[in-house]
Amino acid sequence: MIRAALANLAAAALPFVLALAIGAIVLAVTGHDPLSVYALMASEAFGGTRRIAATLTATTPLLLTGLATAIAFRAGVFNVGVEGCFYLGGLAAATLGFWLVGWPAIAIIPVALLAGALIGGAWMVAPATLKVRLGVDEVVTTLMLNFIAVNLTSWLVNGPLLARGSANSATPAIEKTAELPRLLPPSTLHLGFIISLALVILYGFWDRFTVTGFRSRLVGLNARFCRAVGIDVPSLLFRMMILSGLIGGLAGAIHALGLVHRFVAGFSPGYGFTGIAVALLGRNSALGMILAALVFGALASSGATIQLFSDVPIEIVEVLQGTVMIFAVAKLGLLLRDRRGLA
Amino acid sequence: MIDPLIHAALLMTTPILLAAIGGLVNRVGGIVNIGLESMMLTGALVAVIVSADTGSVVLALLAALVAGGIVGLLMSLVVTRLAANEIIVGLGFSVAVAGLVRFLLKSVYGVSGTFNPPGVVMLPRIDIPVIADVPILGAILSGQDPLTWFAWAMVPVTAFVLARTRLGLRLRAAGSAEMTARALGLDPLASRDASTVFAGAMSGLAGAHLSIGVVGLFNEGITGGRGFIALAAFYFGRNRPWRTALGALLFGFFEALQIRLQGRGVPAELVQMLPYLIVILVLTGLGLANRRRSGSSS
Repeated sequence: MIRAALANLAAAALPFVLALAIGAIVLAVTGHDPLSVYALMASEAFGGTRRIAATLTATTPLLLTGLATAIAFRAGVFNVGVEGCFYLGGLAAATLGFWLVGWPAIAIIPVALLAGALIGGAWMVAPATLKVRLGVDEVVTTLMLNFIAVNLTSWLVNGPLLARGSANSATPAIEKTAELPRLLPPSTLHLGFIISLALVILYGFWDRFTVTGFRSRLVGLNARFCRAVGIDVPSLLFRMMILSGLIGGLAGAIHALGLVHRFVAGFSPGYGFTGIAVALLGRNSALGMILAALVFGALASSGATIQLFSDVPIEIVEVLQGTVMIFAVAKLGLLLRDRRGLA
Repeated sequence: MIDPLIHAALLMTTPILLAAIGGLVNRVGGIVNIGLESMMLTGALVAVIVSADTGSVVLALLAALVAGGIVGLLMSLVVTRLAANEIIVGLGFSVAVAGLVRFLLKSVYGVSGTFNPPGVVMLPRIDIPVIADVPILGAILSGQDPLTWFAWAMVPVTAFVLARTRLGLRLRAAGSAEMTARALGLDPLASRDASTVFAGAMSGLAGAHLSIGVVGLFNEGITGGRGFIALAAFYFGRNRPWRTALGALLFGFFEALQIRLQGRGVPAELVQMLPYLIVILVLTGLGLANRRRSGSSS
């Protein structure tokens, strides 16, 4: 039992190890010492309460974009449109956050978060309908919708929602009451982390112990079987896709109210795409995704500061993220089998 | 008034068309290539470096072609030999290569964002006497660079190769009837890899067109999502070369129009949304047509 769990963990960690190896080659070729860079990154990510708080702050959006992706992926829906939901949810929450002047925190925060979630869910109605009714490939539609969402929100913050007197594309700052409370001031860690973590844990229970959770996983494993035993597959896929959008929107809303306190153009540095990596690396399991989000959060928070303390550009983090994504879906066992086949 | 717009539209079409033809061939071979953007970015950077170092446009184009092809090969091997999901691998390459390019710019060349080495030689323009003075026709045919001519020449060539040659048949078999191809003793995975290398090489040229054909320098945002527009173009074209070219032309026209309309009250962001919106509409139309067809037959 323990051996099996360890083997699982090793298999899940392998993509990350390979990515670190490739990152080490890139670092070595460009004249950096990989080991000291990685050691610096580790201490920047976890050395001390403030650094840990920064890492958890960076983990927060990834928990939910990973969750949103996993909910769709496990049902067999390739929703790559969480990034777009994140943008729209963030914009909706930020807009309500500065519009609802004078509302108390207890009212404005839930309303703004709900609005962000709803718009994310609504954004997925079109691709979900197209998929279940007309069989249109959701990969393409959701990918295209990302670009539409980015352009749409950037138009809104450059025009109708632009803060007065502001030259850069941003909405006005949200009301003080709309800001999610900080957990460990002066660090930026906010209530959103607890909310996100709770939702992922809730998902773990839903995944394991509820009928819908079981059914939606089953549909992802074998849709034909599910149809044969009378599960309404299209309706289930539709609901999972909307749920994925709701969570993606909520992720954006939490990011707006918790950290950025407004909406700016370029609101997400690809949280939706990193979420895909989180879901894949975590194999759609709650615990796996929490660990994976933590890893990517650590990469992001340490990347931001190693640039200050060494001459290593922050982009090494992107190289690592991208390669983790690539190796997370590669069946690395085939490498061994091929060699045996040749021998 | 109309001539500069036509000229600009064709100029904007070239990189989209090059990458779209590559992506189309790749898709016929069985891989939806989401990583075109990364191969384009590689080609754009390599072309600037080689052009500045050697002063030779031919070498620069060749280097961009090879570099794009190598990225394509790497991506393809992960997909075909390690059974990885092509969508995720494509996105992973987009993220990793964008990061790597910026990392190398900072780390090796000490610049951030824009790389503008001295001595970059640009693609020449081919002026055609007499025709150049004819309105409209002159704007279309004269003053274009060699890559634009190459891109358009590749449209009938691709159509012919895919439809009428053994090579095309094998590629189509690798894409749509892998088991049959294997049973006939063909190697569908090798065909598939070859088609991805082709897509990478074409995207590398597309990137070179952007960097040494249009602006003469490299910028980290130089591709600006054109790899994904190219994806939109071959989805618009439903794997047919001429229809794909039409899609690329349409999107190139939007881009030229959007640049012209800047500062005239039409928001650039809304025009930039159009290609993506059109693809969704086209897919919707296709889906409706499919349903009607299957509905009437049953």
